[in-house]
Amino acid sequence: MGHLLEVRGLTRRFGGLTAVSDVSFAVEPGEIFGIIGPNGAGKTTLFNVIAGHYRPSAGKVAFEGHDISGHSSDEIARRGIARTFQAVHVFTEHTAKENLRRAEVIGRRHNPIAYFAHRKRAATADPREIAGFVGLTEAFDLYAGSLAYGLQKLLGIGMAMMVAPKLLLMDEPAAGLNPSEKKAAAVLIRRLRDERGITVLLVEHDMPLVMGVCDRILVINQGKPIALDTPSVIKADATVIEAYLGEDYEFA
Amino acid sequence: MKPILVFVVIAALALLPWALDTRYVFHIATMIAIMIPLALSMNLMLKLGQLSIAHPAFMGIGAYGTALLTMRLGCPPVLALLSGALFATVIAGIFGPVFLRIKGVYFVLLTYAFGEIINLIFQEWTGLFGGNSGLYGVPKFSIFGLRLTAVQDYYVLALIFVVASYAAMRAIERSDIGAMFESLNEDEMLSRSIGANALSWRIAAFSFSAFVAGISGGIYAFYIGFLSPDPFGFRLSVDLVVMNAIGGVSSVLGPLLGAILVVPLPEILRGAHEYQLLIYGVCLIVFLLFMRQGLVSLIQPRRKPA
Repeated sequence: MGHLLEVRGLTRRFGGLTAVSDVSFAVEPGEIFGIIGPNGAGKTTLFNVIAGHYRPSAGKVAFEGHDISGHSSDEIARRGIARTFQAVHVFTEHTAKENLRRAEVIGRRHNPIAYFAHRKRAATADPREIAGFVGLTEAFDLYAGSLAYGLQKLLGIGMAMMVAPKLLLMDEPAAGLNPSEKKAAAVLIRRLRDERGITVLLVEHDMPLVMGVCDRILVINQGKPIALDTPSVIKADATVIEAYLGEDYEFA
Repeated sequence: MKPILVFVVIAALALLPWALDTRYVFHIATMIAIMIPLALSMNLMLKLGQLSIAHPAFMGIGAYGTALLTMRLGCPPVLALLSGALFATVIAGIFGPVFLRIKGVYFVLLTYAFGEIINLIFQEWTGLFGGNSGLYGVPKFSIFGLRLTAVQDYYVLALIFVVASYAAMRAIERSDIGAMFESLNEDEMLSRSIGANALSWRIAAFSFSAFVAGISGGIYAFYIGFLSPDPFGFRLSVDLVVMNAIGGVSSVLGPLLGAILVVPLPEILRGAHEYQLLIYGVCLIVFLLFMRQGLVSLIQPRRKPA
């Protein structure tokens, strides 16, 4: 009892290839949980199954005790799981403000019935306040497409926050960022949890970020879980080091 | 050009038939007024990124439904008109959940097949629809004891529906529903990741646009008084695509302008009927090459990201 997200025996096959094989773990409320693994380990597939883009071939995903395996991505979002993308996804021809406002409207008035029923229900978040939180105050009235890559990624996090999620799934939040932006991203992820109470599950390549922000880390290799522990234990784990051997990862 | 000026010009055009005062001009104006809501209904689906070839079929369902309800069941015309359109809406609501899971070219093909099947039913079920020889003797429209007989009366009726459907489509475009449609069209994955139920919005748009097409069909049935399957075929789909392409998809003003330009073409080209498709083709190519956003881009320049 008490797991926010529980993944049990999750398997995903593509034809003859088993991308994710019998993965089990649980994310506790208020935790920052990382998933790492060498290239092709199945991290992204695992992420996409949890986010509702792929159906699991076997096993199940439960959120707050409800089985959400095989639910569509929008059903999962409405349960309180938002996500960010590895590549930038924003509405480029609108301002940051309009992007944030839209995200809230889309989330609250998600289908034609909810559109009219939730017309008068108060907004779940204030665009200006969220822009301030993620550090977009100065870019608030600029077109999203004109923003630097790093700012567009921040806007993506802001848009996910507009729907007031309980769990935020982050697909490589550090990808494409420069070193100082990576540090800022790490701070922001911690603040999401500390100041907003949002539980975070992230998939990441960037070792300093993962080791720096995560409370616990799941390591997968060839689709199978090989370790699940705190960063300091993971850093010293012989099987993990072996899985990464020959790759240029530094466990900073 | 200022939008207000455009509306003054359109209003003047709408009044032009009274100035010229010939049956022929009123007929063409009435046909334009019947086609504008249809072009608008296709535009609503295009806003969601889906090209529906099925809307002439929904117009046909509205037309035959309205005609048969008044002829066979003696339904009051207003009730028949609404019921015919609701019938089109229900059909869209039944097929929508299946069709709208499919996107791109396959959606176009599916709606094409649907339109052809509906048209075949009109042709082959001669007992009910009269087949290719047609359905004669649709009674005249009447409301509050007022019986519409002259072409002018039907022009006014069609104009009223133009104003109503335009106002509704414009309201949708300006509201957050418009923002929702644009978002789903631009980045469906992002929209769904924050909870948008994409399929439900597509079904709603498909059903509502079928209703609008159905009312247009009903007005057409009362006006012409005779129905055959031919006007509701693929040819009309092509016309509607051309109207949207020439007028512009980004604003509801686009299909309105497109209909005003395209509907009179066959009449203008009467002496050179065989060249009509050729002229369509050339117009389309010119617009696609030099004016992607259509005529509306001359009036409302599409804002560019700063």
